[in-house]
Amino acid sequence: MQTVVYSAKKIITMAANRPEATHVAVRDGRILAVGSLEEVSGWAAPGGGDCRLDETFADKVLLPGFVEGHAHMMAGGIWQFTYVGYQDRTSPDGELWQGLEDIDAVIARLRQIDAELEPDAPLIAWGFDPIFLTASRLNRFDLDQVCDSRPIAVMHSNFHLMTVNSRALDMAQYDRNSNVMGVDRGEDGEPTGELHEMAAMFPVMRRLGVDFRSLARTEGGIRDYGKVCHRCGVTTATDLINDLPLEDVEVISSITEEESYPARLVPVLNAHTAPADEIAAQALKLRGKSTDKMRLGSIKIITDGSIQGFTARMRWPGYYKGPDHGIWNIPPEQLMTTIETLNAAGVHMHIHVNGDEASEVTIEGVARALTKNPNPDHRHVLQHCQLADAAQFRRIRNLGLCVNLFANHLYYFGDKHYELTVGPERAERIDACATALAEGVPLAIHSDAPVTPMGPLFTAWCAVNRLTASGRVLGESERISVEEALRAVTLGPAYTLHLDSEIGSIEVGKKADFAVLDDDPLSVDPATLKDIGLWGTVLGGRLQPIS
Amino acid sequence: MNLPDQPLSPDPHLPRDQRLPLTVITGYLGAGKTTLVNHMLRHADGRRIMVMVNDFGDIAIDASLIQSQKGDTLTLSNGCICCSMGGDLFYALSDALDRQPRPDHLVIEASGVADPMRISEIARAEPDLRLDATIALVDAAGFEASIGDVHIGTSVARQLTASDLIVINKSDLLPSEDLLKLQDRIAALAPEARQVSSRFGQVPLELLLGQCSLQNLKDMEKPCEGHDHPHDHEELYLRWSMMADLRFDKQDLAARLDRLPAGLLRLKGFVRLKGEADWVSVQVVGQRVDLDLLAKPPGGLERSVLVAIGVRGRLDVAALDRLFT
Repeated sequence: MQTVVYSAKKIITMAANRPEATHVAVRDGRILAVGSLEEVSGWAAPGGGDCRLDETFADKVLLPGFVEGHAHMMAGGIWQFTYVGYQDRTSPDGELWQGLEDIDAVIARLRQIDAELEPDAPLIAWGFDPIFLTASRLNRFDLDQVCDSRPIAVMHSNFHLMTVNSRALDMAQYDRNSNVMGVDRGEDGEPTGELHEMAAMFPVMRRLGVDFRSLARTEGGIRDYGKVCHRCGVTTATDLINDLPLEDVEVISSITEEESYPARLVPVLNAHTAPADEIAAQALKLRGKSTDKMRLGSIKIITDGSIQGFTARMRWPGYYKGPDHGIWNIPPEQLMTTIETLNAAGVHMHIHVNGDEASEVTIEGVARALTKNPNPDHRHVLQHCQLADAAQFRRIRNLGLCVNLFANHLYYFGDKHYELTVGPERAERIDACATALAEGVPLAIHSDAPVTPMGPLFTAWCAVNRLTASGRVLGESERISVEEALRAVTLGPAYTLHLDSEIGSIEVGKKADFAVLDDDPLSVDPATLKDIGLWGTVLGGRLQPIS
Repeated sequence: MNLPDQPLSPDPHLPRDQRLPLTVITGYLGAGKTTLVNHMLRHADGRRIMVMVNDFGDIAIDASLIQSQKGDTLTLSNGCICCSMGGDLFYALSDALDRQPRPDHLVIEASGVADPMRISEIARAEPDLRLDATIALVDAAGFEASIGDVHIGTSVARQLTASDLIVINKSDLLPSEDLLKLQDRIAALAPEARQVSSRFGQVPLELLLGQCSLQNLKDMEKPCEGHDHPHDHEELYLRWSMMADLRFDKQDLAARLDRLPAGLLRLKGFVRLKGEADWVSVQVVGQRVDLDLLAKPPGGLERSVLVAIGVRGRLDVAALDRLFT
């Protein structure tokens, strides 16, 4: 039995009894010992023939492999389209896509892709973010400059808007006479090319063959998702809503079991496709299909919309500026019975709640369900839970619920929340990590990739600094320490997935899953936390350098 | 995140009269949507209706009607189809549009808290769809509780204001003076919508779906014959029809359709335009008028034809006669 002892500049373990170390011994993909060289060497057999010292990480810092508790498989497949965002991004295959800082740069990149495409193929781009390109709005004439004979659609980063060229407008039969709400018009009454929300985007997406579901279901999409995780140090990632038909489970299972697949996946069953008792039965059946690298059995419920889309369900006094389009995705009465049924069946739930009315109704539903069917150690998770106040966090704690807060929102949407959606006071306590911890709530933080880019160091940076895109500090008192933030991207999410006995910290017996960093996050300036370089990861003892 | 998705390759340009009509049925839990949808499927009369529901758990279809089940789709022996949206409306809609043969009519049973505008907007946007009607069901006895509820009151109000027709269901459970009050209250909330009452959750299909086909219109002597309407309907509703060699200027026609009498629930037909060979298809549901210029005359029709259905005792037939002479 081979034992490998890795030396490191520093090992940050997330284990209270031995928070830091310099050496970790690995055997059979698991952590055998953590400590100094002398301490871990005691595990070597006399003579040390089956034990070797590996110095690969001698000047690196090891952390537990990051755990992304709320993201989507689509974050991989989306790269089939052309990236035109403002920030630099690296594709799953390691190609650096430079951020585009003005519309001319967007046009130039699209022209480059246009030249490589078949004559009739649509050109589809994603990641465009007008928040950062304030000089003028991208319009159809800009895109007509790229090509006027093929349809072009540029999906905005929030996935609620797209800008298309004249050819695509023609295909959808949009013109000055169309009476469709989301079709933006210029002063001359003609469509500008900007389409708002799914209803208006639907005819274009249908005709251009933009099919998000297949992005998450193809073999390529699943492989790319693994690469996305690997590139940012994630060794376990959720796919936080999936219909999981058995044929798809087979595919995910066989791909993840390949030794070279770089991450463990936790696909979570969509609870909206059948009555709750059938979902419960399906979830329990899926649980039995779990493998070492694919964990099944949890479900996802979506209760409301999004705050930036004004579709989250809000308590009084509601939205700050702008109309309240709050929608329930499921009637509250039905939500209550669904929670009751699933809890009674012992199924672990992830419940999407954005607005504070959605969290309130859900908390009440869980309280009733637990009163009826006590379920110790249930660890149901409120996902996003962005506007919970201290009183809600206290109930959350008392009920044994966990929260997974959307820290990346602070940077990407924080300014909008301050100025438009919820106003200054509530914006300053949005995604209230410090309050959650102060009230004793188990905390994780997430990216919701591809809504925002996956990157636990960036997510931790958001929770630590609470800086918005414009540079505003959004709620200084809700900042958390670097240690707390690192825990919220490792052991915290592992706990919300019932996996904290296997992953999330560097402790004896756990899987040898590490994130390998170039620098020590606890000693760098917290403002530069997101900029720390990554060597790669270790998964079950397998070294996975980023190429 | 909550993302939609679409499969591929719709027909590029369908003739306009091939658009798939869409009816959106809304109403809070207990309003009787499921009963209504079952009623539609049982009385389809040869029409291939496709019903999309959130999940089958809601829609106990008579086992005798079911021919086969494959995944999310039930095929009924009368040619109708019932499928579960699986929480994803857009994917299901794409499927319905790509289905061969395409159904005659699409019905979406929205969830109890859905905003019907979010569904009907798709039909306005998608060239292959035609929004036929948004119909809200109200539980006569349960209305006050739902509209006053702190969590769902706004959703219920939104369903009413977005509707063309409001069916006050289980109206027999209310004393008549309370029913009148309820009708006034709903009229105040949704002044644009037309109301009907239903005693047994049964509403004639010609009202729900505009049941008359072109063939029916051509056979004006026997309009909409052969339906299995419970006798009760005949007491509640009144029909009107006309077939004449009338031609209108398009603006004039639109102006007339703006002055339709109260009590009119639906009007449908084909009208010839003045001085040209053009025809328009006319669809009125409640107070919403949909005029569509046809590329060619509707097969075999030579004269303008219109049929209407309204509330007996409230529909002013003479006013209709005056408008269309």
